[in-house]
Amino acid sequence: MNLQEFKEKLFQLGGQHGFTDMELYYEREEKFACELFKGEIDSYDTSEVFGTSFRGLYEGRMGYAFTEKLDEESLSFLIENAKENSQFIEDEVQEEIFAGSDKYESGSYYSSSLAEVTIAEKINLLKEIEKHIYAYDERVTGTDYFMVRSGETERVLLNSKGLSLSEKSNHAGIYVSVIVKQGDQVKNGEYSKFTRDFSILNPEEIARHAAEEALSQLDARSAESKNYPVLLRNDAASALLQTYIPIFSAENTQKGQSALKGKTGECIAVASLNIVDDPFLEEGLLSSNFDSEGVATARKDIVKDGRLITLMHNRKTAQKDGVESTGNAYKASYKGALTVAPTNLYVNPSNQSYDELVSSISEGIIITELSGLHSGANTVSGDFSIAANGYYVSDGKVQNAVNQMTIAGNFYELLNNIEAIGSDLEFSLGFMATGYIGSPSLLIRELAVTIE
Amino acid sequence: MLSQSVIHDVITAALATGGDFAEVFVEDRFTNSLALQGGKIESSLSGRDYGIGIRVFKGLQSVYAYTTDGSKEGLLKAAGNAAQAIRGEKIIQPAQLQKEIIPAGHPISLNPREVEKLRKVDVMKKAYEIAKNYHSSIQQVTVRYLDEEQNVLIANSEGKFVEDRRVRSRLAIQSIAAEGNQMQPGFYGPGAHRGFEFMENLNLEHYANEASRIAVTMLGADPCPSGKFPVIIDNEFGGVIFHEACGHGLEATSVAKENSVFANRIGEKVASDVVTYIDDGTLANEWGSITIDDEGEKARKNVLIENGILKGYLIDKFGGRRMGMESTGSGRRQSYRFAPTSRMTNTYIANGKSTPEEIVSNTEYGIYTKYMGGGQVNTTTGDYNFAVMEAYLVKDGKIGKPLKGATLIGNGPKTLQLVDMVGNNLDHGAGMCGSQSGSIPVNVGQPMIRVSEMTVGGTKGGE
Repeated sequence: MNLQEFKEKLFQLGGQHGFTDMELYYEREEKFACELFKGEIDSYDTSEVFGTSFRGLYEGRMGYAFTEKLDEESLSFLIENAKENSQFIEDEVQEEIFAGSDKYESGSYYSSSLAEVTIAEKINLLKEIEKHIYAYDERVTGTDYFMVRSGETERVLLNSKGLSLSEKSNHAGIYVSVIVKQGDQVKNGEYSKFTRDFSILNPEEIARHAAEEALSQLDARSAESKNYPVLLRNDAASALLQTYIPIFSAENTQKGQSALKGKTGECIAVASLNIVDDPFLEEGLLSSNFDSEGVATARKDIVKDGRLITLMHNRKTAQKDGVESTGNAYKASYKGALTVAPTNLYVNPSNQSYDELVSSISEGIIITELSGLHSGANTVSGDFSIAANGYYVSDGKVQNAVNQMTIAGNFYELLNNIEAIGSDLEFSLGFMATGYIGSPSLLIRELAVTIE
Repeated sequence: MLSQSVIHDVITAALATGGDFAEVFVEDRFTNSLALQGGKIESSLSGRDYGIGIRVFKGLQSVYAYTTDGSKEGLLKAAGNAAQAIRGEKIIQPAQLQKEIIPAGHPISLNPREVEKLRKVDVMKKAYEIAKNYHSSIQQVTVRYLDEEQNVLIANSEGKFVEDRRVRSRLAIQSIAAEGNQMQPGFYGPGAHRGFEFMENLNLEHYANEASRIAVTMLGADPCPSGKFPVIIDNEFGGVIFHEACGHGLEATSVAKENSVFANRIGEKVASDVVTYIDDGTLANEWGSITIDDEGEKARKNVLIENGILKGYLIDKFGGRRMGMESTGSGRRQSYRFAPTSRMTNTYIANGKSTPEEIVSNTEYGIYTKYMGGGQVNTTTGDYNFAVMEAYLVKDGKIGKPLKGATLIGNGPKTLQLVDMVGNNLDHGAGMCGSQSGSIPVNVGQPMIRVSEMTVGGTKGGE
């Protein structure tokens, strides 16, 4: 059954069962991934999947169900389950099916030149990178994750109020993790880059980044455990920011899971901090003209000059707070319920380079990598105690890599302890990210650092 | 789910370009998830996942293609896409498919698909009431309910043809205690490879009260000191430390490419004498249990470390090729969207001889961790970290004040050598494990153990 036919039958059946407003959300995704190990293709994945979710108002309450099969059996599965599910919903404010915004931006996030890049070209890029990796230094002994990925997504939203929206986007990316050995020391270093412009993926540069990252971890030493000024390098800063993004969601303030409740308009950070959510970023991986409930997306300041300008909203959270939706309705996929998430969100860079920031530190720690963020950071209290890797700095110079560390502090306090912001904005798509998050390097006045 | 003749044709097509092994994985999964917040049901979601994964090997090359298009044309197209990655002439004919009936290892008495959602809502509301009423500082309680029925069919060019039904249920309770500007969470998430009978027999009082008790206790906790201390880790979910410190490093995924600190060390002493570490997918109805793995191999009990000596690894079919070893029934995946790889099931440290009282009274100064959060490991270096949800200071052989904000870091192989006491109160805890082949249910377990020295990262600074 094709989508249009499925929709018509579904809405007809829904109508017969007493649904008033209905929506069908559809996603189709094509993906390719290839992993290389010592010159040979180690794994090669290709996929094409689709799925739909149904949302409908039954006796004034919203019911949900999804399926990956567009067949007759699924029609009744969706309607019966959505109907049963709607009966337990007790929220005083109900979701609604949206008739549409007045105007949508017409940005395109689909690159036809990227779509034309062949699989052979992608694999060749990996082979080129691998050559440069092994040639870079004799201490390079191997790779663990080493892959190219690309994907294409199509989203369609159709509803009984006449709204019909669709959009296509694509991207490609490289993940590299290099292993180095020196005596009995083994270290690894990672680098990843996503883009819609395949030509910017320079094999020599990617190999150098990853290899340098691994080599710089060798000869790690210990240092005194105490409070230090900490420079969160751009990738570590964006990983930390990503973990704490949920505090800017109105859904979380309404649930008592963010301390930013009632802080709109107030100063929550140093005056130099500006955070922007921009769905129209040309290279943004989450760029889009409409959100998951069909609301037109918009570029917005979340934090401006240290002041909280707005929280992120969908239509339901906006109604609860008596404001307009910010176009941040989000579904992880057609399987998920509607929630709130950023699109492309980043900290505005300043004009101070990373090197300038390093040279300003008389004694401190640079953090290059954070791990265990999913468990070591408490988004409710803001407290974090997270494992980290990085370097020791004194007299404005990087002295040596440091044994495994933890850094501990509180994110809400950290926002007020940013001493300087770098010019080196970099985005990262994290492990479990709901958003494409970027940050320049951030110099923090002081954090508790424990060194092994 | 699909006929033998269609599967035979798909396997034949996948081998057309010279593959030496092909496999088809069909999945039809029904899930229900409900969320309750502030006493009210906030979402109730039902869904059906359906898809097919086709895998082809040629030597040490693995190709995977998946699709939601279950028509014969759709499957042949996916098989063709997979075959395209291999260049060569057809070398083998698939063996005749032989249907094998494997008795369910984990019987289900009440299929959640046949249980009215209202009964599920009742369980959630009861848990909410208990957790909310625990203490006046409990400000927010979230209860999540999950059940799923995953039907799989696995067939391959060696003639394997098996089907399996996996039913799982889980309840997750999160309490938040608040006082002034302070907020602290507490969590408990019991789960089992069982149907709705699991919910009916669940000790809600215990789990809901514990979630709230942790939150309230942490509200009054002192910041954790940092430094190197003896650390006592309590039983059940405390086993997450070994899941990170050595479980992942024993998976073929990293061992086969010699990227693991444990590669090529079978027969060597890798841990202190008191450590025996086991992965057992056959434990009746446990959350991480399986009847067959996602490559159709029967679940088994694998002793990984025995009295400190490395005995074996967790091996899937493809990892086994590079290692020249047989599968250990450890091939697992989140869904048809992932090629299987070597993963854990129910992994635990076996009982030792000490009693928990002896362990505590033998510790002059250190940290006692009652409940763990999650963790992460870098299998190349063995460096791991994990968060502590509930911790206490130990002084003069007694458990003292609660501590918050503790993170433990260390190196897996080193920690294994430093385990100096193992208790006799083994228990298991349910969790989700994320890795290359997605997020899968696993149990972690252990009796109470003591590590003579661990690095504790806290907010209080060095001591």
